Amino acid sequence: MAVEVKLPRLGQGMEAGTIVRWLKSEGENVVKGDPLYELDTDKVTQEVEAEADGVLLKIVVSDGEVDVGTTVGVIGAEGEEVSLEPPEPQPAEPSEPKETPAEEAARPAAEGERKEPAEPSDRSSQGRAVEREPSAPHGAPAGAEARGRVKASPLARRIARERGIELASLRGTGPDGRIVAEDVERGAAPSRPGPAEAPAVGEVEVVELNSIRRTIARRLTEAWEAPVFQLTVTADASELVATREQTLALVAEGDVKPTVNDVLTRVVAAALVQHRAVNAHFVEGQIRRHSAAHVGIAVATPNGLVVPVIRDADRKTVREIASARADLVSRAREGKLQLQDLEDGTFTISNLGMYGIEQFVAVLNPPQVAILAVGAIADRSLVVDGELEVAPTMTMTLTCDHRAIDGSEGAEFLRTVKAFVEAPALAL
Amino acid sequence: MPEVTYREAVRDALTHALRTDERVFLMGEDIGEMGGSMGVTQGLLDEFGPKRIRNTPISEMAIVGTGIGSAMQGMRPVVEIMYEDFLTLSMEQLVNQAAKHRTMSGGQVSVPLTIRTQGGAGWSPGAQHAQQLEAWFVHVPGLKVVFASTPADVRGLLWASIQDENPVLFFEHRTLYPIKGEVPDELEPIPLGRARIHREGEDVTVVATGRLVHEALEAAEAAEQEGISVEVVDPRTLQPLDEETILESVRKTTRCVTAHEAVTRGGFGAELAAVVQHGAFDWLDAPIERVGAKFGPLPFAPALEQWVVPHAADVLDAVRRTVARA
Repeated sequence: MAVEVKLPRLGQGMEAGTIVRWLKSEGENVVKGDPLYELDTDKVTQEVEAEADGVLLKIVVSDGEVDVGTTVGVIGAEGEEVSLEPPEPQPAEPSEPKETPAEEAARPAAEGERKEPAEPSDRSSQGRAVEREPSAPHGAPAGAEARGRVKASPLARRIARERGIELASLRGTGPDGRIVAEDVERGAAPSRPGPAEAPAVGEVEVVELNSIRRTIARRLTEAWEAPVFQLTVTADASELVATREQTLALVAEGDVKPTVNDVLTRVVAAALVQHRAVNAHFVEGQIRRHSAAHVGIAVATPNGLVVPVIRDADRKTVREIASARADLVSRAREGKLQLQDLEDGTFTISNLGMYGIEQFVAVLNPPQVAILAVGAIADRSLVVDGELEVAPTMTMTLTCDHRAIDGSEGAEFLRTVKAFVEAPALAL
Repeated sequence: MPEVTYREAVRDALTHALRTDERVFLMGEDIGEMGGSMGVTQGLLDEFGPKRIRNTPISEMAIVGTGIGSAMQGMRPVVEIMYEDFLTLSMEQLVNQAAKHRTMSGGQVSVPLTIRTQGGAGWSPGAQHAQQLEAWFVHVPGLKVVFASTPADVRGLLWASIQDENPVLFFEHRTLYPIKGEVPDELEPIPLGRARIHREGEDVTVVATGRLVHEALEAAEAAEQEGISVEVVDPRTLQPLDEETILESVRKTTRCVTAHEAVTRGGFGAELAAVVQHGAFDWLDAPIERVGAKFGPLPFAPALEQWVVPHAADVLDAVRRTVARA
């Protein structure tokens, strides 16, 4: 019996994914657990494993974006016939089930509100055809569109015709996957840059948004709507640097060497569990304060910014944090993060110190209510007891979502962070 | 501008016609002393006397037939059919006589007859006193069909209908009689064949008639809360039809809902949908949705009646379907 390979939902909120490439070809043997294809979601690219043994009989969707639940391939016995309907554009919402007349009659009025009472016998010719449910099948038989016929509104067809856009290259967002005008307008931006489109000197290079870039754009635009305020503090980083030096002495050959930022992650986590107002999410009109500090660290990758999470950073040693961080960063740079690496962060640290940035303001990482922007540690003048001294200092700026945090709460947290930075032992 | 009820607006147009044109007279059941079963002709007998405000026997065929004959003889009769359900009894006169004479006589005679009638649900009149049959008459060449939804429209359109050289079926809605609205100081005829845009919008055009104009306006308010901008157009005359205004609107919004109280099947909305799909095909971004009564004789029970005939919520649902995303 053939098994359909359906696009899995790999994390909360995942609606669709982009198949990058198949790792098996049609006709090839697969064993359950074999990597089958590479899937790009809005957060990560990962390999999806086969869930059955057999032969990969058919690849239904070879690449491109598909919705969760769509059948993308079929695994079965060698020589087995595949009688697969082409993919429904919107499988998440099943078409209206066929009903027996008895079931139909038994349906409550609310559901049948667009149907007629006391109908004469010929129900099929009654108002159904025009008064269908929004998701009900209509017009051409379902699936016909995948074999050459594209479902598109007349307006969408006209715009596509006028602009020379191939309808088949578009994804329909209308009912039953119908392509509507908006989809064509969206697709009117050059959608498939071919080799001929390499920019000549002086021309504009058009960069299509990849899924990570799109997610960054969407989420940070959302974040921009939050009323935020910033608090800035400068701390003497001498002890932070010294602590890091001390940890190095204990590192065995081949182990990950902790960085100053690892020590900072540890002390910030300690501050977070003392100030849970800052270690919180703002969701659906609620503030959810967390008892564990899962600290996200902003990592630049070739594909864009990602924020993998160091879980329970308040209960890890600096060495454990270093090891977790090294693993996450290297996988982030290789595009091999899993969704669980990116979930459940309660706070984020963004450090641009390595670029020599002295101080900056970070944008919230929703639903988190605060983010810490850390600048470079450098020797600067410092007044201590009326004397001018030179010491390594570091400026930190906390961005707070004012819907969840008031100025005093943010200030108290930042005072603790400064105290811990200047005396890391206090964070123990 | 004075504010009057729909009922007063009809009476005002009749009074004006009776005062300014001595060829005008009224005929109908109980329109004299009783003032009509809907109270529209109250007081007219006192001012104009029994020769011009004429009670008739209970024979719709005779009422319309007499109207046709006197119209052909140069009068401007306005006859009243108490309920539009009873138009059935005068169909031979309307369809085979009134509609045909002008053409069949090569223009030698005309039938400047106005047939006023009313109908509509909303007050438990049962299956035989509340139908909306306007679409039947749109199917007959030679008849004009008017369905007014506001006091200002009913007043100006009735005055234009009485002056028209052709037979005009003039539909009023039972539940609209008490509604109030401003009317112009001076009574000006509203030319037949011109739609009215009640509300401008960007996303969906609702073409509504009669009571559903008001339901559509309510739905448009609700839709706006959801970020959907709805344009509401009332054709006002179904024949002749102002196709250009409707098409222009749909070409702008790219989506269309038709709405009337009559049953959906074979209703005027079907004709509108045909006009729109042909005239604005390349502008349509969603299937045209139709709103109308469910296909059954109207139940007497108020709860069932409410369920069968369409309301603002049904229009809103249809509007949502046109902008739906899967």
